[in-house]
Amino acid sequence: MAEPAMQLKNLKKTIKKKPIIKGLNFDIYPGEVFGFLGPNGAGKTTTIRMMAGLMKMTEGDVIIQGKSVKKDFKDAIRHVGGIVENPEMYPFMSGWKNLLHYSRMMPGISKERMEEVVALVGLEKRIKEKVSKYSLGMRQRLGIAQALLHNPSILILDEPTNGLDPAGIREVRRYIRQLAEHQGVAVIVSSHILSEMEMMCDRIGIIKNGELITIQTVKDTVQQTDRNELHLEVDETEKVKGYLKEWGNEDVKTENGYLIISVTREQIPVVIRQLVEKGVNIYGANVHHSTLEDKFLDLIGEGAIE
Amino acid sequence: MSNFFQLVRNEQMKLYSQTATWVMYGILAVLVIGFAIVLKVNGDVNGGDYGGNWEKALQEENAQLEKQMKENEFAGDYATQQIALNEYRIEHDIAPGGYNIWDFVQENQSNAAIISLFTIIVAAGIIANEFKWGTIKLLLLRPISRTKILFSKYVSVLVYAITMLVFLLILAVICGAIFFGIEQSAQPYLYYQDGTVQEMPMIQLVSIKYFLGSVNLVMMASFAFMISAVFRNSSLAIGIAIFLMMAGNSIVMFFADYDWSKFILFANTDLTQHIIGTPMNEDLTLSFSVTVLLVYFVIFLTLAWAAFTKRDVANA
Ligand SMILES: Nc1ncnc2c1ncn2[C@@H]1O[C@H](COP(=O)(O)OP(=O)(O)O)[C@@H](O)[C@H]1O
Ligand SMILES: [Mg+2]
Repeated sequence: MAEPAMQLKNLKKTIKKKPIIKGLNFDIYPGEVFGFLGPNGAGKTTTIRMMAGLMKMTEGDVIIQGKSVKKDFKDAIRHVGGIVENPEMYPFMSGWKNLLHYSRMMPGISKERMEEVVALVGLEKRIKEKVSKYSLGMRQRLGIAQALLHNPSILILDEPTNGLDPAGIREVRRYIRQLAEHQGVAVIVSSHILSEMEMMCDRIGIIKNGELITIQTVKDTVQQTDRNELHLEVDETEKVKGYLKEWGNEDVKTENGYLIISVTREQIPVVIRQLVEKGVNIYGANVHHSTLEDKFLDLIGEGAIE
Repeated sequence: MSNFFQLVRNEQMKLYSQTATWVMYGILAVLVIGFAIVLKVNGDVNGGDYGGNWEKALQEENAQLEKQMKENEFAGDYATQQIALNEYRIEHDIAPGGYNIWDFVQENQSNAAIISLFTIIVAAGIIANEFKWGTIKLLLLRPISRTKILFSKYVSVLVYAITMLVFLLILAVICGAIFFGIEQSAQPYLYYQDGTVQEMPMIQLVSIKYFLGSVNLVMMASFAFMISAVFRNSSLAIGIAIFLMMAGNSIVMFFADYDWSKFILFANTDLTQHIIGTPMNEDLTLSFSVTVLLVYFVIFLTLAWAAFTKRDVANA
């Protein structure tokens, strides 16, 4: 694999003696979208603030393109573009002036580049208007535009879909995928909404109470959850249970008069055919996909916020 | 360095994109023009007109003053100075002029207090507002050190203050010329110092007054800037700075009996006392005042710097 674009090394943060981030270790690679998933208060924003140099690290370090954020802030952070929490812009200036403001803070950003990012996020028509007249979605897009101005190799977006409608979310997903796939940008996206993460990320790190619980590649999770729950409405449930166990389905549950077994997609017709051959009356059969959501909830547990 | 210049440009752009900034210029313009109209209409400005035989008039005035001095020992200081000034005029043939453009420009220096007020408001907001708006996060997420960003903001406050002073000066010159004319504007300014009468071109007096008058402005702006950086709250910074500015002289008076009162900031902010006047306390030399001011200045900026560069951006 390529060199990591960003590395978290035993990153810790303690605020007023309370440990908020308890030692995060992971690498993010060029061209991947890394999802940082966790319930509200898990510590996503705090971690991102440390990555961005807004908060000091209590312990550990963040290495960006080989440079330490702690020791070599300017050389590390020049590779980063981002939004932290809300896309706050200067409301009394136009979108264009906001971009001009940020373009002056980094060398070599031309008017053409500014126009390019405006076009990328589709704000051409409204860019001369004051930001105070923008909707949240437009501000979110302007936020992404300013983050991309200097062609960063790492893009950090904290809850970029917050407050967006489904169309807006789809659009953000499209930019993000495009940046990662076509320009090799390493994108870090945080969210507390799993379904969004599943759709845009290559890997998802789940954080709870300041600790990383697991990192899963999205393909993995799809395979692992490729088991379906088959709900069967039959009479003579005890007899049927016996057949099922005989055929290797050890884990048979009964719920509201339904028998529930866990099977792969291929097994569904086989099981039904075998039951019919045994003369079992099947009054109904439903298939439930166990989602990553269930898995997520399993992983973080109920009452995830301490 | 060009980088720093761009940061200052940014700050100016943000400042002048806000309506409040233009309102400040509007208020200042109304004050200057209004003052000119009031003076003109009330006609106070002709008080210094002695008519054709000014020498005789001044001699009479001196005789009057000498009589007063004999009758009343407390009339001393003012009378001695006035007599000396009048005699100097007669000797050097410098007629006391009527009210003209320079008098108006000079009097308008008092509007520096208004500019101080506005500069305090700007200085108090320039850091605190970034926190209030939440824009501080994106501002600091750039390959630029916090120190540089802080000083670009400080320099921006000074640029704003200077721009306002220049605006005041130009407006006062224009209004002065229109309302009070430019006749006799070449006459020098006479003042009494160390027992003798001194002469100074009016334009020099105006420059000195405007320049030295800005010392107080710069100190109060630096103070507000520091509070803004430390507490990240503009209302607090405005409140404390304006209170101190208003109460400054009273504070000095209140503690005047103590020896350490000369170290109070406000005992030193009026540098004009050393140049065209007599300081209230003989320990207060020009170099002493400048040293005290520099110490305060360094303390303010160091505190602002420490607060801005060392602390987490946690709640913005
Ligand atoms: N400045 C702060 N002072 C004290 N506690 C804080 C501060 N900032 C965040 N926290 C706490 O840290 C935890 C993580 O917060 P945050 O990083 O904002 O979570 P997330 O972004 O995942 O919702 C929360 O429990 C929050 O209360
Ligand atoms: Mg958050």
